[in-house]
Amino acid sequence: MIEIRELRRSFGGVVALDGVSLKISEGERRALIGPNGAGKTTLIDILAGEIPPTGGAVLLSGRDITGLRSWQRARLGLAHVYQRTELFSPLSARENVALAVAARRGPYRVFRAPPRSEYAEADAMLERVGLAGREAIVVRALSHGERRQLELAVALAQGPRVLLLDEPTAGMSPVETARITELIAGLDRALTILIVEHDMDVVFRLADRVTVLHEGRVIADGTAADVRGDVRVHDVYLGKAVTVA
Amino acid sequence: MRPLVRWALMAVAAAALVTFPYWSAPWESTRFATTLLRDALILAIFALSLDLLVGRAGMPSLGHAAFFGAGGYAAGIASQRLATDQLPVTLGAAAVAAALLALVIGVLVVRSEGIFFLMLTLALAQIVFAIAFQWTAVTGGSNGLSGVGRPMLATLDFSSPDLMYVLVAIAFVLAMLTVWGLARSPYGRALTGVRENERRMRALGYDTARLRLSAFVLAGTIAGIAGALSAYSTRFVSAQDAGLGNSIRAFVTVLVGGAGSLGGPIAGSALVSLIERVVPSLLPVELRISEAILGLVFIAFVLFGRQGMVGLGRDAWLRLRAR
Repeated sequence: MIEIRELRRSFGGVVALDGVSLKISEGERRALIGPNGAGKTTLIDILAGEIPPTGGAVLLSGRDITGLRSWQRARLGLAHVYQRTELFSPLSARENVALAVAARRGPYRVFRAPPRSEYAEADAMLERVGLAGREAIVVRALSHGERRQLELAVALAQGPRVLLLDEPTAGMSPVETARITELIAGLDRALTILIVEHDMDVVFRLADRVTVLHEGRVIADGTAADVRGDVRVHDVYLGKAVTVA
Repeated sequence: MRPLVRWALMAVAAAALVTFPYWSAPWESTRFATTLLRDALILAIFALSLDLLVGRAGMPSLGHAAFFGAGGYAAGIASQRLATDQLPVTLGAAAVAAALLALVIGVLVVRSEGIFFLMLTLALAQIVFAIAFQWTAVTGGSNGLSGVGRPMLATLDFSSPDLMYVLVAIAFVLAMLTVWGLARSPYGRALTGVRENERRMRALGYDTARLRLSAFVLAGTIAGIAGALSAYSTRFVSAQDAGLGNSIRAFVTVLVGGAGSLGGPIAGSALVSLIERVVPSLLPVELRISEAILGLVFIAFVLFGRQGMVGLGRDAWLRLRAR
């Protein structure tokens, strides 16, 4: 589904990605872990087309998408949940999701109000992520946890084939984290997911395979079980004591 | 029933506006109010078009007068060169010329944002102004383009002040309906998305550069129509119509009235017209500097009422209801 070949990216003299190659097959749930500064967010941003790589290639279903812009990639089925919340702050939760729903039909529709079906679809998505009853609340008035849920609703409303999740549970309470984790776990198995996450419980709950990134390189790659056994070896890279269940 | 009542009220208001010269005739023999209202409505169309950019799409253009001027020149030149005063021809020429100019300038500016967008639109509009000012053979240069004819629609002649007013008022109602129809549609909602978070819009699959360009061309076209109406009304096009002063005037009108709302640019044009045309006559001769008064009013709004007249009105209404 996704193939990354020898991806490189430097910012000035700082090398963020130093030749990363990996393959994620269709329907796979892959976690990307590693210490701060390992290049995880850079990798996600390059996949989403937010920043161009210095070298290397990105393929989606065998097609080279390295030169495509983010909106073109979105139309090919890539959805991105950002590490820091990126929403439309004066709009309601419903309007936020409706913008994602409407993206498929295109913006060049004038004089008529947006069809009710778009809002109905948006409301259904909000209910799915646990925001039922919060549809009319503007983003500014939502709690941090609710905004993260809304981020996920917006991304899912795009009807993606690939979901790029950059720390979806960042800053959430344990209860909210558990809820979001179960929500992601319950998503359609046909959906390919790449998730950057620091919370190892979330990683091992969700991921089929885990890739460990350190200083811009892949230092370990395997099934969740493999890496779990391997984690002690690498906990120096993870920079913290990892509790292995 | 309530939306129907609202529509009926709006229709009555529109009809009253369009027929103003006829029911005001008994007490308005000098036609001062008609002329004042006509020019205020032209400014309102111009400001409504700019607000599509400033208020809706978050594109603060300081070069919008380029399209107003282009429309005026195109209408005037078309009527002189083609020797016709037919409205579809001259107004069509104005719309096409303004749209093409907006397309060319738009392609150059839509990828920049904020202060860069502001400076780029300003610079490119100054080039348009310079061309208008220098190209004497076509535009009349510093003398301007005089003798622009009042338009005709088949055999209906708009040369009388009253009918000229009616034409402007109808255009205003149509422009208002157009902007309202755009703002409430998925298109308007997408422009709001671009204004609030362009990066996320792109991530959702919107080609935001094209969206911004479409808004720029649309706004430029409506500004061009306003420019043509101004040329018909005053029978004259000046290079200043395409100049920075006129761009700033529209910008101030939008901000003073309230950006991003339908009522804002309209309220703003009423206030600006009063300051330009009525307030000076109430002051001693040495204080009759409308630009300075407008500047002070603008500063007051920037300091005390960022949301403009519409925002102040909304706040007052909410406070009244809360009591």
